[in-house]
Amino acid sequence: MPSLRERQTRFANALLQGGEDSSEHIAIYRNTVFSNYRNALGATFVVVKQLVGTPFFDTAVDAYALAVPSTCGDLNVYGGDFPEFLASYPHAGDLPYLADVARLEWAVDAAARAADPSGSPEALLAALAKVPARQVVGQRFALDPSCCLLRSAYPALRIWQVHQPGFAGDVTVSFDVAPDYLVVRREAGGVIIERLPPGDHALLRTLNDGGDLAAALDAAVAAEPDFALEMALGAHIANRTLAQLRSN
Amino acid sequence: MNRRLPNSVGIGLRAPHVSHVLASHPSVPWFEVHSENYFADGGPALAALDRIRADYPISLHGVGLSLGSTDALDTTHLAKLSRLVDRIDPAQVSEHLCWSSVTGRHFNDLLPLPYTREALDHVCARVSTVQDCLGREILVENVSSYLTFPESTMMESEFVVAVAMRSGCGLLVDVNNIYVNARNHGSDADAYLEAIPPALVAEIHLAGFDASGPCLIDTHGAPVAPEVWGLYERALRRFGRVPTLIEWDTHIPEFAVLQREAATAQSYLEARLAVAA
Repeated sequence: MPSLRERQTRFANALLQGGEDSSEHIAIYRNTVFSNYRNALGATFVVVKQLVGTPFFDTAVDAYALAVPSTCGDLNVYGGDFPEFLASYPHAGDLPYLADVARLEWAVDAAARAADPSGSPEALLAALAKVPARQVVGQRFALDPSCCLLRSAYPALRIWQVHQPGFAGDVTVSFDVAPDYLVVRREAGGVIIERLPPGDHALLRTLNDGGDLAAALDAAVAAEPDFALEMALGAHIANRTLAQLRSN
Repeated sequence: MNRRLPNSVGIGLRAPHVSHVLASHPSVPWFEVHSENYFADGGPALAALDRIRADYPISLHGVGLSLGSTDALDTTHLAKLSRLVDRIDPAQVSEHLCWSSVTGRHFNDLLPLPYTREALDHVCARVSTVQDCLGREILVENVSSYLTFPESTMMESEFVVAVAMRSGCGLLVDVNNIYVNARNHGSDADAYLEAIPPALVAEIHLAGFDASGPCLIDTHGAPVAPEVWGLYERALRRFGRVPTLIEWDTHIPEFAVLQREAATAQSYLEARLAVAA
């Protein structure tokens, strides 16, 4: 008589690859499990699915589910590695922008689940005002928990936009464009995607990675020589992208 | 006990209906939601549940704790459930008598257990851990299955009852699952009901199955079948008036369809009351 552990391991193997216990009954579970993943990822990666079509998408999800197992009982958080998987998925080789669109869709999904903001622009400005002037450049900032910074060599946002329900107008996407520097974040009204100037993107990315304001300014100026720190800082505090000071 | 669900028919609330419920405040005695759908740290879905909780009793129904798994209990998952329970103060918390994960891989599905002494000991210990962590009794639900295991030494009903008796949890009796399993495995659904002590039963689930394949599949994607209404009627005769839930998870119809199913179930509950009076 197999132990419970043996039974579960055998069942799992049979479900995944068809083994000694495999039968039409195991196949019912296999179908349910894989169709759950197809549905869950299909609800998150809506544009990716439109770009490649359902049969391609479902086949890619099946391959992903085998290669990168779900490790969590909350299906809502499965799929974070799907963009990376697509980036190296041989069958998607002629769609080099696909992974970036997937990263954008995952960021939108994750932003909706992120913690609610704490603090306020007023509180952050007050905290900054208390910092002695010469120490301001040494400050580190925490971004709002919903923020995700993305860079794409392709017009990822434009591709995403023309695939949104209700999009009316010219659906032509030009690939002869500068890279997309994007921030995805959640405001009171919902998740938004903004295109940022390269300097702002470099500033926020450096701060998000834990760098201080001096390092962030260096990165911003390197990306955009006429970068204006005060204006950018004011804007990102006012719209809550920068949430609070980190304790050094 | 102020935590109990109303003895009436609630509806399983799924994402497509949340905005309708918030906007129109339908007359529904209580809602059940899948706990995991509210494990987020924040955001609009959780905020919506807070608002719904202000107006309706809520039951939290877990689908991912993997109670029967031989992997270690996922303490992160349990901590998120505990956080949600503290936030929502639900009338009921339930999970499934099944397993979903092994050797670190999650299948995110309700997989059947063999009904052995070893599985019973294992599940009882895990239910106790969960109840200790949450500081309250939970309900466990019988699942549908498409195969049985040769090593099983107990009837499913025996196993389910033993879990409740030993761990002190209550039972969420899914009448549709009893019917599906009876048809799939050639067992006796009425004998199953007879094996359950009425005092253990705190909630009933009703849903629809798919009969198009070689066995009945518990899709939660169809109206409750006539035979299941019949079994529900007999369940009420045995268990008395028990809070009942209409579940629909695939091909989710308009909310009005769920309300009609709930009204049908409510008429069975009222009839049971009339008989009892």
